[in-house]
Amino acid sequence: MTDLPASVRPTLRRLARRVAAGLFLEIWPRWAIGSFLLAGTAALVCRIFFSSAAPFLPWLWLAPALSIVPVIILCIRRAYRPIEIAALADSLSGGQGTLLTVLETNDPAWASTAALESLKQLPMPRLKLWSRVAPILASAVFLITALLLPQRMISGPRTTILANDIVADLKTTIEELKKQDLLTPEEEKTFEEEIERIRKDALDRVDASSWEAADAMREKVSASLSQKEDALNWAQENLARFAAAAQAGTPPSANDARELADAIKNLAQTGMLDDAPADLQKLLGSAEALAGGNFKLPSDPKALRKLSQQLAQHLDGRATRFGEIRRAGRDRGRFDPSEFGEFNFEEGPDGDGDPGAGGINRGRGDADLTWGDESLPFDRFKSVSLPPGAVRSPDDWAPVAALPGAPKEAAERTFSSTGVQFSGTAGQSAWRRTLAPRHYSAVKRYFENAESR
Amino acid sequence: MTPEPKPLLTPEAVAAAQTSITKLTHELRRVILGKEDMIDEVVAALLARGHVLLEGLPGLGKTELVKALSRLLSLEFRRIQFTPDLLPTDITGSHILQERDGRKEFTFHPGPVFTNLLLADEINRASPKTQAALLEAMQERRVTTFGETRTLPDPFFVLATQNPIELEGTYPLPEAQLDRFMVKVEIVGVEQSVLEQILVTRVHGEAPPLEPVLNLADVQQLFSAVDAVHLPRAVANYISRVVAASHPKAAGAPEAVRSFVRYGSSPRGAIAIGAIARGLALLRGKPNVGFDEVRRVAGPALAHRLVLDYAAKLEGWDGRRVIGAILEGVPEVERGLPQTLEAVK
Repeated sequence: MTDLPASVRPTLRRLARRVAAGLFLEIWPRWAIGSFLLAGTAALVCRIFFSSAAPFLPWLWLAPALSIVPVIILCIRRAYRPIEIAALADSLSGGQGTLLTVLETNDPAWASTAALESLKQLPMPRLKLWSRVAPILASAVFLITALLLPQRMISGPRTTILANDIVADLKTTIEELKKQDLLTPEEEKTFEEEIERIRKDALDRVDASSWEAADAMREKVSASLSQKEDALNWAQENLARFAAAAQAGTPPSANDARELADAIKNLAQTGMLDDAPADLQKLLGSAEALAGGNFKLPSDPKALRKLSQQLAQHLDGRATRFGEIRRAGRDRGRFDPSEFGEFNFEEGPDGDGDPGAGGINRGRGDADLTWGDESLPFDRFKSVSLPPGAVRSPDDWAPVAALPGAPKEAAERTFSSTGVQFSGTAGQSAWRRTLAPRHYSAVKRYFENAESR
Repeated sequence: MTPEPKPLLTPEAVAAAQTSITKLTHELRRVILGKEDMIDEVVAALLARGHVLLEGLPGLGKTELVKALSRLLSLEFRRIQFTPDLLPTDITGSHILQERDGRKEFTFHPGPVFTNLLLADEINRASPKTQAALLEAMQERRVTTFGETRTLPDPFFVLATQNPIELEGTYPLPEAQLDRFMVKVEIVGVEQSVLEQILVTRVHGEAPPLEPVLNLADVQQLFSAVDAVHLPRAVANYISRVVAASHPKAAGAPEAVRSFVRYGSSPRGAIAIGAIARGLALLRGKPNVGFDEVRRVAGPALAHRLVLDYAAKLEGWDGRRVIGAILEGVPEVERGLPQTLEAVK
């Protein structure tokens, strides 16, 4: 462009600047809109799903600013060459071709022609700014709106926090018990599964049952520990009796020996001997035999004494661990709904209300249970089969007497395998009743008494 | 390899050429009133040494224009009235058995094509065979008969006329023949004011008397000047893109081309645009072709080279309209203004 007449150069430079601005505005809006939309979408997603990202959201304003870098690189790469600027200038000035000709031929004879002189008044192309900027503003508004949205405090994140909080101390307890070797692998697996189940239930919905389940779980763990502690105490008592007999020089009675054997079996079943020293394991015999209840005390007094000593020593160590665990879990309270007023556990949508106030209250599901020395630890819970609480079927009844006012119906007696069936005439199935045999005599007795009355 | 650029015409040379051309156009405008654009197109085509096809209704001055040109240029002029029974030899000439010095021999009698300026009046009335006889003459500027090739005089122009109506008994020019014409000038009616002027100045409709304004040497000098008119690369690029866009399968073809054009222009069309634009630039007193000249001559130079679809006729599209759509769709500068910029008219 240096070969062009001096009078034309300023015009061409102005045109080059205008074209560069136009090129920038042609490239930049797409990047800006894209970055605004991307940042806005990211902000929206964070506002809805990731509350932890909220402090970082203002940094999203950097995205549109940073998008200028690739735009500048693209502008430099796509910059118009001087010959292209000259062609544009020529075209804009009416397409005379004189400027291009002078540029190509470097002929000074035509450098001061009217056609070139007219380039001084070349009207610069107008920037269509608004049409390009409007979509950017719209996308910027999207980002602003997304950033101004309140952070969504939905049950999702809070539930997660609460769920983790609910099971946190349980996990800690289990970890501690694992450290102290107070859990068998089976128990550990069971407890961990149970804790995960509680956490998942709480993730779905946090209500009183979540804490109650945690309390129940805690008590279950506590019960397991108590069972182990009871087994340990029982074994220690027996060992003490055994030791006292040994000191007195009297051989242990058969009853004491049997009870000690039972206590050792109980210890084995509760996993209290899993980490016993090798010598003690050797004296006790195979683990399978112990777990299967086939343990027998050694008949050799010397071996028996050695066993009792080593066992006592092992159990002393375990007892210390129990003491530590007890001390650590002493402050743990139980769930109290009144401490969680915001959750409104007592007046749920299902119409629960205070007892006596007309509503139905299911009461606490984790009502206090008494754990004491009323029964032996391993006999504490014996399953008892209860009779079925419901009738076999609504038809499982039969009229045994016609009360005054009842429809007159000649009942026919038939016998079936399930009992005596009384039926009315055909088609009147409503009158069919069956009396179970075990009730038959009772009903008969009742009405006999009624007649006698 | 880019050829070494020719030296640009000096302002004095351009001015001299423009003066000569202006004399010609001025006189022509005296004869043909109100047809300045048509006269410019015809003169530009002649300066480019191209053949011209004039199409228009009877009485619009087609033949008068050619006759006036012949008088003004002091060139040898012949006229052939094309009729259905015209034979090729009636155009090219034939060998006749003649007795000379007691011997009989075939002597070639040149046809009317051996002239500087040939008026082929109502060319579409001749049979295709006869029309084709002009093909070699127009393109190669020579005639071959009985195995002998004879060069036509230089310059050689064919100015053909045809009537777009009364098509019964006519033979439309085939595409190959049309392609030989550098421009097809469509002559339309005159405005009412021009008609009034004609009535006032022409008692019997006869043209005013004309004196030659250019001789053969002047014409040859003008040809040299036209050849020296500079065609900038950007303008040549524009011409090539315009011609390329006339093909329906071209990437940059406008919708009108894709819908209505079966075959686009040949490269001869691009050459024709460049040549006529050079002539027009000189006529305008410029040493170079600009985008403006290309826009001006693209219609006359390309419209007759497009083979349009039947749909075009149904939709009322002709070659000129399609070229208009191409010029609208193809930017002058290949890399135009960014979309964010708007040219101020």
